[in-house]
Amino acid sequence: MAMTQHKIVFSGPPGAGKTTAIAMLSDTPPVVTDVRNTDAGLSKELTTVGLDFGQADLGNGQCVRLFGTPGQLRFDFMWRIIATDALGLVILLDNTRPDPLDDFATYLDAYADLLPTINCAVGIGRTGECALPTVDQFSSLLAERGLAFPVLPVDVRRREDVLMLVDTVLIQAEMRT
Amino acid sequence: MNEMTSLSTLTTTLLHPARQTAQALFAEVDGARAVVIATADGFDLAHAGHQTIDPARLAAMVSSVSALGDAASRETGIGTPRYLVIESSDGRLVVRCMQVQQQALVAVVLTDKSVTLGFVLSHLAQAEQLMNAA
Repeated sequence: MAMTQHKIVFSGPPGAGKTTAIAMLSDTPPVVTDVRNTDAGLSKELTTVGLDFGQADLGNGQCVRLFGTPGQLRFDFMWRIIATDALGLVILLDNTRPDPLDDFATYLDAYADLLPTINCAVGIGRTGECALPTVDQFSSLLAERGLAFPVLPVDVRRREDVLMLVDTVLIQAEMRT
Repeated sequence: MNEMTSLSTLTTTLLHPARQTAQALFAEVDGARAVVIATADGFDLAHAGHQTIDPARLAAMVSSVSALGDAASRETGIGTPRYLVIESSDGRLVVRCMQVQQQALVAVVLTDKSVTLGFVLSHLAQAEQLMNAA
C-alpha cells in the first residue's frame, strides 16, 4: 500500500509545548534545534531557534511529518518558511502566559493569508492551572475574524492529546476533498 | 504578543568584547558590509557596518541557520559546526559558531563578492580567540 505523507506544522508562543508535542508523537527521535536560552524574561533552559521535526506512521497508509516553529516573534521569518505547503497547522497556546488571547491574535495575524484555506486546530495548554481565558473566548476571537476551527484543551505530554490535534487536522482535510 | 527580553547577566558580560570584536572584524575585512555577533538564541550583542540591515533580524536568522547546521551535523555524525557559508550571487554570509566564556555565540560577516573566503574564515577564527582572551 502506498504511503500518503502529510506535513503538519506546530506553531505557538515559547513554552507552549511544540517540541514536547512532536517528541510525543514521533516514531523516531525528533530533530531538534534547541539552544541555551539567554532571555532572562523566559523561564526555560533551552529554546528552539530553527525547527523541530518528527515523523509518525498513523497506520492505514498515512504518515505525518511534524514540523515545529520557534516561538519567539523574532523568528517569525521561520514561521512562514516552515508553513509553506503544509496540509495543516496546529496552534498551541499556554493559558498560564500573561495574555494568551494576545498570543493567539499574534499567530492569527501571522498566518492570516493561510488560515482561510489551511486545515487548523488550536490546542490550549495548562487550562488546569489557569482556567481563563476559556475555550469559548478563544473561539470567539476566531469568530470575530470569520474563522471557525476546533479549539481543544490539551496536555501535550499526553500522546493521545497530540494525536487528537493531528486527527482534527486530518479530518478537516478529508472533508475538503 | 509583546516580546519582552532581557539578557542574562552572563551574556551582558560579553557585550563589551563583542562590540570590540565586531568593530575590529569590520575594519579588517575589506569588502565586509556588516558584522553581527549574536547569542545562539538569536539576540544581537554587537554589530558594525555601513549597510542598512536590521542587526536584530540578521541575528535571529543566523541563529536559526546555525542551529540547523548543528542539527544536520549531529544527524550525519560529523561533529559540531565551525562555519556556515551562504554563497549568493552578489555576496556571502560567513557564519562562525563560537564558544566564548562557555557561552555559545554566532558571528556573521556579510561581504561582497570580492572577498576571499579563506581570509574571512581566518579573521573569524582570530576573533573567537580574541574574545576568549578578553
